[in-house]
Amino acid sequence: MEKKLSEMNYEEEGRVKSIEQDLKNKVAGMGIRVGKNLKMIIKHPLKGPMVVEVDGAHTSLALSIADRIIVEVKKWKKYY
Amino acid sequence: MEKILLMGNPNVGKSVFFNRLTGANVIESNYPGTTVDYTKGYMKGDSEDFEIIDVPGTFSLEPKDKAEEVAVKMLEEKKGALIICVIDASKIERGLYLVLEIIERGYPVVVALNMWDVAEDKNIQIDIEKLKSILNIPVVPTIAISGKGFKEVVLSLKKAASVGVNEITERVGEIK
Repeated sequence: MEKKLSEMNYEEEGRVKSIEQDLKNKVAGMGIRVGKNLKMIIKHPLKGPMVVEVDGAHTSLALSIADRIIVEVKKWKKYY
Repeated sequence: MEKILLMGNPNVGKSVFFNRLTGANVIESNYPGTTVDYTKGYMKGDSEDFEIIDVPGTFSLEPKDKAEEVAVKMLEEKKGALIICVIDASKIERGLYLVLEIIERGYPVVVALNMWDVAEDKNIQIDIEKLKSILNIPVVPTIAISGKGFKEVVLSLKKAASVGVNEITERVGEIK
Protein backbone atom coordinates (compact mmCIF):
# COMPACT_ATOMS: atom_id res chain seq x y z
CA MET A 1 0.00 0.00 0.00
CA GLU A 2 1.22 3.46 -0.88
CA LYS A 3 1.05 6.36 1.52
CA LYS A 4 2.78 9.54 2.54
CA LEU A 5 5.71 9.15 4.88
CA SER A 6 3.86 11.42 7.28
CA GLU A 7 0.97 8.96 7.37
CA MET A 8 3.04 5.98 8.48
CA ASN A 9 2.22 4.51 11.87
CA TYR A 10 4.61 3.77 14.69
CA GLU A 11 6.99 0.93 13.85
CA GLU A 12 5.53 0.63 10.38
CA GLU A 13 8.12 -0.16 7.72
CA GLY A 14 8.18 0.86 4.11
CA ARG A 15 10.29 1.53 1.06
CA VAL A 16 10.65 4.99 -0.42
CA LYS A 17 8.77 5.09 -3.70
CA SER A 18 9.05 8.71 -4.76
CA ILE A 19 10.31 12.04 -3.51
CA GLU A 20 9.28 15.40 -4.91
CA GLN A 21 11.96 16.56 -7.29
CA ASP A 22 13.06 19.73 -5.51
CA LEU A 23 13.29 17.82 -2.23
CA LYS A 24 15.51 15.01 -3.50
CA ASN A 25 18.87 16.64 -2.85
CA LYS A 26 17.73 18.00 0.46
CA VAL A 27 16.95 14.62 1.98
CA ALA A 28 19.70 12.67 0.17
CA GLY A 29 22.22 14.07 2.64
CA MET A 30 20.26 12.41 5.41
CA GLY A 31 20.37 9.06 3.66
CA ILE A 32 16.82 9.13 2.32
CA ARG A 33 16.42 8.34 -1.35
CA VAL A 34 14.18 6.26 -3.59
CA GLY A 35 14.49 2.54 -2.80
CA LYS A 36 15.57 3.00 0.81
CA ASN A 37 13.84 1.11 3.61
CA LEU A 38 12.40 3.22 6.39
CA LYS A 39 10.86 2.57 9.75
CA MET A 40 8.76 5.05 11.68
CA ILE A 41 10.17 5.58 15.16
CA ILE A 42 8.56 8.66 16.68
CA LYS A 43 5.76 10.99 15.60
CA HIS A 44 5.61 14.12 17.67
CA PRO A 45 2.15 15.54 18.36
CA LEU A 46 0.79 18.94 17.32
CA LYS A 47 2.15 18.71 13.78
CA GLY A 48 5.61 18.17 15.16
CA PRO A 49 8.49 16.45 13.42
CA MET A 50 8.96 12.70 13.10
CA VAL A 51 11.92 10.40 13.50
CA VAL A 52 12.53 7.60 11.02
CA GLU A 53 15.15 4.89 10.89
CA VAL A 54 17.29 4.60 7.75
CA ASP A 55 20.18 2.10 7.58
CA GLY A 56 20.07 1.65 11.33
CA ALA A 57 20.41 5.39 11.95
CA HIS A 58 17.72 7.73 13.18
CA THR A 59 16.94 10.93 11.34
CA SER A 60 14.27 13.51 12.02
CA LEU A 61 12.07 15.14 9.42
CA ALA A 62 9.66 18.07 9.54
CA LEU A 63 6.05 17.21 8.81
CA SER A 64 6.13 19.45 5.74
CA ILE A 65 9.00 17.36 4.36
CA ALA A 66 7.49 14.01 5.28
CA ASP A 67 4.30 15.03 3.48
CA ARG A 68 6.17 15.13 0.21
CA ILE A 69 7.71 11.66 0.36
CA ILE A 70 5.70 8.65 -0.80
CA VAL A 71 6.43 5.20 0.63
CA GLU A 72 5.26 1.71 -0.20
CA VAL A 73 4.31 0.27 3.16
CA LYS A 74 5.51 -3.28 3.72
CA LYS A 75 3.41 -4.74 6.40
CA TRP A 76 0.44 -3.51 8.25
CA LYS A 77 0.70 -3.62 12.00
CA LYS A 78 -2.15 -3.56 14.42
CA TYR A 79 -2.21 -0.92 17.08
CA TYR A 80 -4.05 -1.26 20.28
CA MET B 1 50.13 28.35 7.54
CA GLU B 2 48.16 25.50 6.07
CA LYS B 3 44.47 25.54 6.96
CA ILE B 4 42.47 22.49 7.89
CA LEU B 5 38.67 22.42 8.06
CA LEU B 6 36.95 19.80 10.17
CA MET B 7 33.70 19.00 8.40
CA GLY B 8 31.04 16.34 8.80
CA ASN B 9 27.42 15.57 9.58
CA PRO B 10 26.01 16.88 12.85
CA ASN B 11 26.82 14.84 15.94
CA VAL B 12 29.73 12.77 14.62
CA GLY B 13 32.35 14.12 17.01
CA LYS B 14 34.00 16.96 15.15
CA SER B 15 34.44 19.01 18.31
CA VAL B 16 35.97 16.10 20.19
CA PHE B 17 38.29 15.73 17.22
CA PHE B 18 39.11 19.42 17.37
CA ASN B 19 39.91 19.31 21.08
CA ARG B 20 42.16 16.30 20.60
CA LEU B 21 44.07 17.86 17.73
CA THR B 22 44.53 21.31 19.22
CA GLY B 23 44.38 20.73 22.95
CA ALA B 24 41.60 23.31 23.15
CA ASN B 25 38.52 22.92 25.24
CA VAL B 26 35.42 23.69 23.22
CA ILE B 27 32.06 22.49 24.44
CA GLU B 28 31.17 18.97 23.42
CA SER B 29 27.79 17.45 23.98
CA ASN B 30 25.93 14.44 22.88
CA TYR B 31 23.35 16.06 20.66
CA PRO B 32 23.43 17.56 17.18
CA GLY B 33 23.88 21.26 16.66
CA THR B 34 26.32 22.00 19.48
CA THR B 35 28.60 23.95 17.17
CA VAL B 36 26.67 26.68 15.35
CA ASP B 37 29.58 29.04 14.92
CA TYR B 38 33.14 28.10 14.15
CA THR B 39 36.15 27.72 16.44
CA LYS B 40 39.75 28.14 15.43
CA GLY B 41 42.81 26.42 16.90
CA TYR B 42 46.36 25.51 16.09
CA MET B 43 48.19 22.23 15.83
CA LYS B 44 51.87 21.40 15.50
CA GLY B 45 52.58 18.87 12.79
CA ASP B 46 55.95 17.12 12.47
CA SER B 47 57.22 19.59 9.88
CA GLU B 48 54.72 22.44 9.84
CA ASP B 49 51.98 24.05 11.87
CA PHE B 50 48.33 23.94 10.93
CA GLU B 51 45.39 26.17 11.63
CA ILE B 52 42.37 24.01 12.37
CA ILE B 53 38.79 25.20 12.09
CA ASP B 54 35.90 23.35 13.67
CA VAL B 55 32.98 23.82 11.27
CA PRO B 56 29.32 23.33 12.26
CA GLY B 57 27.82 20.00 11.19
CA THR B 58 26.10 19.83 7.84
CA PHE B 59 24.36 17.10 5.88
CA SER B 60 25.11 18.59 2.51
CA LEU B 61 26.56 21.64 0.87
CA GLU B 62 23.12 23.00 0.09
CA PRO B 63 22.40 24.83 3.32
CA LYS B 64 19.03 24.38 5.02
CA ASP B 65 19.65 26.32 8.24
CA LYS B 66 21.94 28.89 9.85
CA ALA B 67 24.55 26.42 11.03
CA GLU B 68 24.78 24.80 7.61
CA GLU B 69 25.04 28.22 5.99
CA VAL B 70 28.05 28.97 8.17
CA ALA B 71 29.58 25.63 7.19
CA VAL B 72 29.20 26.20 3.47
CA LYS B 73 30.40 29.79 3.67
CA MET B 74 33.51 28.70 5.56
CA LEU B 75 34.30 26.10 2.94
CA GLU B 76 33.91 28.63 0.13
CA GLU B 77 36.03 31.24 1.89
CA LYS B 78 38.89 28.86 2.55
CA LYS B 79 39.81 27.90 -0.96
CA GLY B 80 42.85 25.66 -0.91
CA ALA B 81 42.21 24.42 2.60
CA LEU B 82 42.60 20.80 3.49
CA ILE B 83 39.46 19.06 4.69
CA ILE B 84 39.27 16.39 7.35
CA CYS B 85 35.84 14.94 6.82
CA VAL B 86 34.71 13.29 10.02
CA ILE B 87 32.01 10.72 9.41
CA ASP B 88 30.10 8.42 11.70
CA ALA B 89 31.17 4.88 10.76
CA SER B 90 27.79 3.56 11.86
CA LYS B 91 25.99 5.98 9.53
CA ILE B 92 28.44 5.79 6.69
CA GLU B 93 26.14 6.48 3.75
CA ARG B 94 25.14 10.00 4.67
CA GLY B 95 28.72 10.73 5.62
CA LEU B 96 30.03 9.63 2.26
CA TYR B 97 27.42 11.79 0.57
CA LEU B 98 29.03 14.85 2.13
CA VAL B 99 32.54 13.53 1.39
CA LEU B 100 31.66 13.26 -2.29
CA GLU B 101 30.15 16.73 -2.33
CA ILE B 102 33.36 18.17 -0.89
CA ILE B 103 35.52 16.18 -3.30
CA GLU B 104 33.34 17.45 -6.14
CA ARG B 105 34.27 21.01 -5.23
CA GLY B 106 37.93 20.16 -5.66
CA TYR B 107 39.17 20.17 -2.08
CA PRO B 108 41.81 17.71 -0.86
CA VAL B 109 40.12 15.42 1.67
CA VAL B 110 41.09 12.98 4.42
CA VAL B 111 38.23 10.82 5.68
CA ALA B 112 38.10 9.98 9.38
CA LEU B 113 35.72 7.08 10.03
CA ASN B 114 34.89 8.11 13.55
CA MET B 115 32.91 6.15 16.16
CA TRP B 116 34.59 3.02 14.86
CA ASP B 117 33.81 1.29 18.17
CA VAL B 118 30.09 2.10 17.84
CA ALA B 119 30.05 0.61 14.34
CA GLU B 120 31.77 -2.53 15.65
CA ASP B 121 29.18 -2.83 18.40
CA LYS B 122 26.47 -2.62 15.78
CA ASN B 123 28.25 -5.31 13.74
CA ILE B 124 28.86 -2.99 10.83
CA GLN B 125 31.84 -4.08 8.76
CA ILE B 126 33.59 -1.57 6.54
CA ASP B 127 36.23 -2.53 4.01
CA ILE B 128 38.63 0.37 4.48
CA GLU B 129 41.10 -0.77 1.84
CA LYS B 130 38.39 -0.93 -0.78
CA LEU B 131 37.04 2.47 0.22
CA LYS B 132 40.54 3.89 -0.03
CA SER B 133 41.09 2.46 -3.46
CA ILE B 134 37.73 3.72 -4.73
CA LEU B 135 38.09 7.23 -3.36
CA ASN B 136 41.86 7.39 -3.77
CA ILE B 137 42.17 9.49 -0.60
CA PRO B 138 43.27 8.52 2.92
CA VAL B 139 40.58 6.81 5.02
CA VAL B 140 41.36 6.31 8.71
CA PRO B 141 39.23 4.58 11.35
CA THR B 142 39.16 6.66 14.53
CA ILE B 143 37.64 6.75 18.00
CA ALA B 144 37.72 10.42 18.96
CA ILE B 145 36.87 9.98 22.63
CA SER B 146 39.74 7.55 23.21
CA GLY B 147 42.16 9.04 20.69
CA LYS B 148 42.54 5.97 18.50
CA GLY B 149 43.65 6.68 14.94
CA PHE B 150 44.69 10.30 15.46
CA LYS B 151 48.31 9.73 14.68
CA GLU B 152 47.39 8.17 11.35
CA VAL B 153 45.04 11.06 10.55
CA VAL B 154 47.81 13.60 11.12
CA LEU B 155 50.31 11.52 9.17
CA SER B 156 47.92 11.07 6.27
CA LEU B 157 47.36 14.82 5.89
CA LYS B 158 50.31 14.85 3.51
CA LYS B 159 48.65 12.28 1.31
CA ALA B 160 45.41 14.21 0.93
CA ALA B 161 44.85 15.19 -2.66
CA SER B 162 41.95 16.41 -4.71
CA VAL B 163 40.50 13.74 -6.94
CA GLY B 164 38.01 13.84 -9.78
CA VAL B 165 34.51 12.62 -9.09
CA ASN B 166 34.44 11.03 -12.54
CA GLU B 167 37.38 8.80 -11.66
CA ILE B 168 35.55 7.67 -8.55
CA THR B 169 32.40 6.87 -10.51
CA GLU B 170 34.51 4.83 -12.93
CA ARG B 171 36.10 2.85 -10.12
CA VAL B 172 32.73 2.17 -8.55
CA GLY B 173 31.61 0.89 -11.93
CA GLU B 174 34.53 -1.54 -12.09
CA ILE B 175 33.55 -3.13 -8.81
CA LYS B 176 30.07 -3.95 -9.97
